[in-house]
Amino acid sequence: MGKLLVVFKREYLERVRSKWYIIGTLLGPAFLLLILAIPRLFGDEAQGSRDVARIDVIDASGTGLGNRVADALRAKYPLSRGPYVRTVDAAKASVEADRSVLRVQREEVLGALLLDSATVAGDSVRYVGRNAGSHMDVDAIRNVVRNVVLADQMARAGIDAKQVDAFSHIRLDIHTQKIGDKGVEKGNPLAVMLLGYGVALLLYMMIVVYGQAIMRSVLEEKSTRVAEVVVSSVDTDTLLAGKILGVGLVAVTQVLAWVVLGAAALMYFPQIMGNGNHPAGVPDSSAAANAIAGAQGGASAAATLVKTGLPSVPLGATIALLLCFVLGFIFYASLFAAVGAMVNSQEDVQQAATPVMLLLVSSALFMPPVLANPTSNLAKTMSMLPTSAPIIMPLRMTLVPVPWIEVVGALAGVSSACAAAIWLSGRIYRVGLLMYGKKPTIRELAKWVREAR
Amino acid sequence: MSDLAIDIRNVVKRYDGHVAVSDLSLAVPRGSVYGLLGPNGAGKTTTIRMLLNIIVPDSGTITLLGTPHRTRGLTDRIGYLPEERGLYKKMQVRRVLRFLAELKGVPGREADRRIDEWLERLELKTPERDWGLAKVDELSRGMQQKAQFIGTLLHDPDLVILDEPFSGLDPINAQALKDSIVELKARGKTIIFSTHLMDNAERLCDSVCIIAHGQKVLDGGVAEVRKAHSGRMVALAVEGDARARIAPVLGDKSLVARVDDNNRYYELELAPGGDAQLLLRRVIDTGVSITRFELVLPSLHQIFLERVGARGVEEGMSGHG
Repeated sequence: MGKLLVVFKREYLERVRSKWYIIGTLLGPAFLLLILAIPRLFGDEAQGSRDVARIDVIDASGTGLGNRVADALRAKYPLSRGPYVRTVDAAKASVEADRSVLRVQREEVLGALLLDSATVAGDSVRYVGRNAGSHMDVDAIRNVVRNVVLADQMARAGIDAKQVDAFSHIRLDIHTQKIGDKGVEKGNPLAVMLLGYGVALLLYMMIVVYGQAIMRSVLEEKSTRVAEVVVSSVDTDTLLAGKILGVGLVAVTQVLAWVVLGAAALMYFPQIMGNGNHPAGVPDSSAAANAIAGAQGGASAAATLVKTGLPSVPLGATIALLLCFVLGFIFYASLFAAVGAMVNSQEDVQQAATPVMLLLVSSALFMPPVLANPTSNLAKTMSMLPTSAPIIMPLRMTLVPVPWIEVVGALAGVSSACAAAIWLSGRIYRVGLLMYGKKPTIRELAKWVREAR
Repeated sequence: MSDLAIDIRNVVKRYDGHVAVSDLSLAVPRGSVYGLLGPNGAGKTTTIRMLLNIIVPDSGTITLLGTPHRTRGLTDRIGYLPEERGLYKKMQVRRVLRFLAELKGVPGREADRRIDEWLERLELKTPERDWGLAKVDELSRGMQQKAQFIGTLLHDPDLVILDEPFSGLDPINAQALKDSIVELKARGKTIIFSTHLMDNAERLCDSVCIIAHGQKVLDGGVAEVRKAHSGRMVALAVEGDARARIAPVLGDKSLVARVDDNNRYYELELAPGGDAQLLLRRVIDTGVSITRFELVLPSLHQIFLERVGARGVEEGMSGHG
């Protein structure tokens, strides 16, 4: 135990004392704030491109719909040039569309909107353009057309024009609240999503960064031959354990520092988030509602997150989350340590680490789909699979209630994967640490594992 | 309490078909300086690593300082300087040394005191500069070697194991190392070191063991070993350029088994059944002027060549050093 502490202490103190660690820890939150603030600086996060209305409107409907749509577009995008309306015969529509394609290619317009009888009926409208791939732009155009068609139909049904205008401008915000096992939960769902995403991303980042730190540390001991002296004083299992625990605590320290610094920054400079009109503190529901009403995107939600307090994460879930990190870290760290012990040079190590990195990156790849649909079978599977559970389970848990049996199952799975990884890596480490020369083949590795004692 | 510091019995270690150490038995008395001699690949480092419980023998027993070698805490009483040396490059020298001492169970405060003492003693801490505060990679190679040597001895071990301690040392550090070995012995410590430099071994060691191909060739006190091989070696020195005249005599295989030709000084090994008196008469008959003709104790180097043979030499043995 004494030696474990000595190894642990060295790993921890040497890292925490290093210049880059201190800089990274201090600048981490600043960097985060910058990333959150950038969309606001450009101011177009929610509007899509400002040039949406610079399009041809080809009106083959024979009802003057084109001009009405154009007016609506101009009203919505006063800074945009266009739109350019051409009223044509239904028979000529395709010829006109081809003309517009040429105009788009010459960059005269961004796209072309084709209105015909199907549009008047409220069935369909065609849009071709450079930005046809942008959901925001396409949605914006669709909404404009839809509102105009709606107004037309209401007018035909005999509703007064003024009323039509009022109706078509109904703004309906949706205020959502998550229901957990203990009823309606505090905090807004956008913040919950952000928290889930943040937690998963942070876990992933910490495992990648500090897992590789362990790998390099092992390689350093091996290539400088310090390992020779060290293993004559302490057995390799203790050395490996001390290393993983020491570096793990470095990661935890950094996360804690970020949380504290980040929270402090959001507390004292809420205007960075562009939402500084609410007094800080007072985590009541009206503040939450106000905040979310004024929120324009994730950035403000982050501010809200702080103002309204963290969305309630029960103690059990917090412990499960922590276990996920600890077990996941140990799992990947021991694999990385084995990789470090296998090779002799910086050149070889990246290549040798590829399989472990692939495991990690493939778990991260599933973050967006799980975020979009946390109740899907994909989400369930990925949150149970031992290699991805440490990252996906926390994400799922913050988004939706997960039956405790699944959480326990996932943790049990990760634990056994951990035990297997430690067993395997311990053996590779023991032999590899004092083995110089070329990189071992898979067969040689198997022999190391068999023969290690 | 056993009077043996190291007691190795019938130890075997095989690697992947080849035998690194084969049925090796060694006894190193407490308080002695012991040399483990052999060509590269003879199994010296494997033996040392087994002593330190870094690798486990396939069979046989090892007892260190009267205790089975896998006993917990035993390594705290052993100091080890590996052949491949190195320290954490980016770490402050003091912190590295403190780490090494703490690994051996020395409390931090006591470690600091000893580190100061050693740094001053090996001139790494002078009134002008305290190299202990520098990072390891700011030190010259010679200074790093000193630092590593300090790390080996900080916990005041009863048994000191040095693997090829003289390789790569500059003459000043080599001298400091020799002094330290002598001083350690004077304080009752046991020192075992491996080397392929016979001159060092002959001067420093009380006892030696020569191993080749994982097997013990011979062992015992240096004096006894040399005596056991005496009567077969003749030192012959002649005056002037007599090479051509005595060449036929020295080339007589019934008389002389081997010649170590040092130009005007020859070390001869008599052939089995060869007679020293007859040899002397034959040399006199050539008419050269003899300045020395003496039956001598062979040097370790000679014994090594005789027992391990030219094959060992080809396999990396570098003889005099």
